[in-house]
Amino acid sequence: MAEVTFRSVSKQYDGDGPKAVDSLDLDIKDGEFMVLVGPSGCGKSTALRMIAGLEEVTDGELLIGDRLVNDVPPGDRDIAMVFQNYALYPHMTVRENISFALEVAKVKKAEIKARTEEAAEMLGLMDYLDRLPKALSGGQRQRVAMGRAIVRSPQVFLMDEPLSNLDAKLRVQMRSEIIQIQRRLDTTMVYVTHDQIEAMTMGHRVAVMRLGVLQQVADPQELYQRPANLFVAAFIGSPAMNLINVTLGGTAERPTASFAGHTLAIDPRAVERYPQVADRIGSSVVLGLRPEHFSIEGDFDLPADQTVEFEIDLAEAMGAEAHLHITLDVPVVELDGAPVIAEDGDDVSTSTTSVIARIDGIHFVRSGEVVKLGVKTHLAHFFDLDTGLPLN
Amino acid sequence: MLLPDDVDVSDESLPLFTFPDSSTRFALVDNDISVAEFRPLDDIDRIIRLDVSSGDKTGDVVTIDGDEEDVFAIEVDGTTIEAYRSRLTSGGRFVSLDDPADERVELVNLVEPVQQFGPRLENFEEVLIDKNLGRSLTNTVLVTIVVVSGQIVTSILGGYAFARIKFKGRGPLFLLYLGSVMVPFVVLIIPLFQLMLQVGWLDNLSALIIPFMFSAYGTFLMRQFFISIPVEIEEAALLDNASRWKILWRIMVPLARPAIATLATFGFLYAWNSFFWPLVIINSGNPDGRVLSLALSTLGGRSSTDLNLVFAGAMIAMTPPILVFLFAQRYFVENSASSGLK
Ligand SMILES: Nc1ncnc2c1ncn2[C@@H]1O[C@H](COP(=O)(O)OP(=O)(O)O)[C@@H](O)[C@H]1O
Ligand SMILES: [Mg+2]
Repeated sequence: MAEVTFRSVSKQYDGDGPKAVDSLDLDIKDGEFMVLVGPSGCGKSTALRMIAGLEEVTDGELLIGDRLVNDVPPGDRDIAMVFQNYALYPHMTVRENISFALEVAKVKKAEIKARTEEAAEMLGLMDYLDRLPKALSGGQRQRVAMGRAIVRSPQVFLMDEPLSNLDAKLRVQMRSEIIQIQRRLDTTMVYVTHDQIEAMTMGHRVAVMRLGVLQQVADPQELYQRPANLFVAAFIGSPAMNLINVTLGGTAERPTASFAGHTLAIDPRAVERYPQVADRIGSSVVLGLRPEHFSIEGDFDLPADQTVEFEIDLAEAMGAEAHLHITLDVPVVELDGAPVIAEDGDDVSTSTTSVIARIDGIHFVRSGEVVKLGVKTHLAHFFDLDTGLPLN
Repeated sequence: MLLPDDVDVSDESLPLFTFPDSSTRFALVDNDISVAEFRPLDDIDRIIRLDVSSGDKTGDVVTIDGDEEDVFAIEVDGTTIEAYRSRLTSGGRFVSLDDPADERVELVNLVEPVQQFGPRLENFEEVLIDKNLGRSLTNTVLVTIVVVSGQIVTSILGGYAFARIKFKGRGPLFLLYLGSVMVPFVVLIIPLFQLMLQVGWLDNLSALIIPFMFSAYGTFLMRQFFISIPVEIEEAALLDNASRWKILWRIMVPLARPAIATLATFGFLYAWNSFFWPLVIINSGNPDGRVLSLALSTLGGRSSTDLNLVFAGAMIAMTPPILVFLFAQRYFVENSASSGLK
């Protein structure tokens, strides 16, 4: 077991190309479950592969424990990695796959057998020890890959999107199994995923990355409640935080936010958290409201100036809750000239902003209806339009 | 196959024939003896064939079609007649099976072989031992095994290096190597011959083995296959602290079985059937240096009468390639390399 430390680590694949990882500073504690999360291509795998020694560090220092490992070959780092495609040895049985590293290390036969079976036992693979990988289901292969890592009792576990090839149900199950195994072995874990739900549910701390740059490292709660910038605010949470271009008005004591013909009073408690709001009266900022910050008439006890009437484009009843989709006639919030989170299949329109409100499932709302929603503005977030930094 | 029926006179088995005038079977005891054709003076159209040594000149001379011919006294069926000798040729001496004293000389192609339909395993023995095909077979097996194993080993090493080890000039070197596949072998024969001459390997099996242990085609084949193996498998092995050498032999080579089987089969067929280069390198007077293809061509030359032996030799030469192909073909379709991934 060991800590992993990045000191201004950068990685450039081509001499003149962009930096896949840009001056990363990150301290991963001994025994910690650290999740690296971010959209595809943000450099999480690259960061992980540098820990493994599969990619060279272009600049900066990488330490495992107290040891500088920049030039240590992968095999000498005492780490184990689970790959996205599992990378099992296809011609070896489950037993041989799991014990290969011990064999290479010339561990005694009896000990190999004992440790292999202990790992297999932990993962429920005892009945499959003599099978080849091709005779296993996806979930079983995933377990073999984990077994191969566990059996070595390494200093650090590395996992690169290990669950992305499983179906949704299995994913949830494996998620909790991985959490349990890590807790039981108490080994430092660096876990890469692009799925923020995985990140939030699994990590002791979560490191959010964007375009090779670390955005924020914090525990999931903090990440959710105090995002360090517009990107983290938009990336963490599902459905995502609603980001709306608003103009601040009113007074420093009781400011208002105007957008698309609506005006919303801002609770002073929000101004306490975001004091710069008081200085920005009259200018445009980004208002961040999570879907659960809305509630429907009857469910709230809010002053009248914190309610707005919206026309509902689409009401999605999901049982326990309902999602109300609203389109606002304000340009979408952009970061570096593009919508903050640009995902495939997203609406390309940037002249309107879509908002999702989450309400209790007992309410029946039809698409097309106009309803009055209350907004808990004391929980609202405010960001600078240009820099994306919070106004605190 | 139609084969002459045989009879054992002493230890040897001899082919049997019948003459048009009787149903008695005769054994061909002597092939290739000198035969004289006599024509009786009183019946010039009749031909009597006898051993060259038979007949005595009477000293008389007769003129036939303007040529002067010596008159011989020959014995036919117990009577002596006068005849002239129209031609010397070669034929066989036949002995009757019923009456060992009944001996005839005749051209082999004018008598009817006694035919029997069925396998005759002695052909194999004869061709292997009497015709020295056994030695050629040993040579071919030796050459083929060494060439094929050499090709496999060098192709694996080269292919792996070109696929996965980064070194300066890898790309151009690979192109150069691959380019050599485009040079037809005929162009290389003379330079290669000169090289062998300088090294002193003329008429030596080394010349059939060493230049062929390296295969640009095989290296290319192995490289392509290694490239197609997901790099993560190798990375996983690296993290398991396996050395390059161990990764190659424990992970990559077992996964490359289909490619190796393909390479081995083609290498085998090429080495087994190669004819022209052995013909150039091995002296025709050195039967101990012959490979199977050379021995077969000698056996089946233009004047060959031993078609049975040619067929037996051909069978011997054909069987191993067929077996190899049957054995290797299941690997051609199998591709296990990707089954370890999701
Ligand atoms: N082997 C490579 N050669 C060149 N560029 C690469 C290589 N691997 C990744 N990249 C680039 O580096 C960036 C980060 O990639 P990666 O770390 O794989 O992202 P992620 O895992 O977060 O999706 C991407 O822009 C990707 O195109
Ligand atoms: Mg990745």
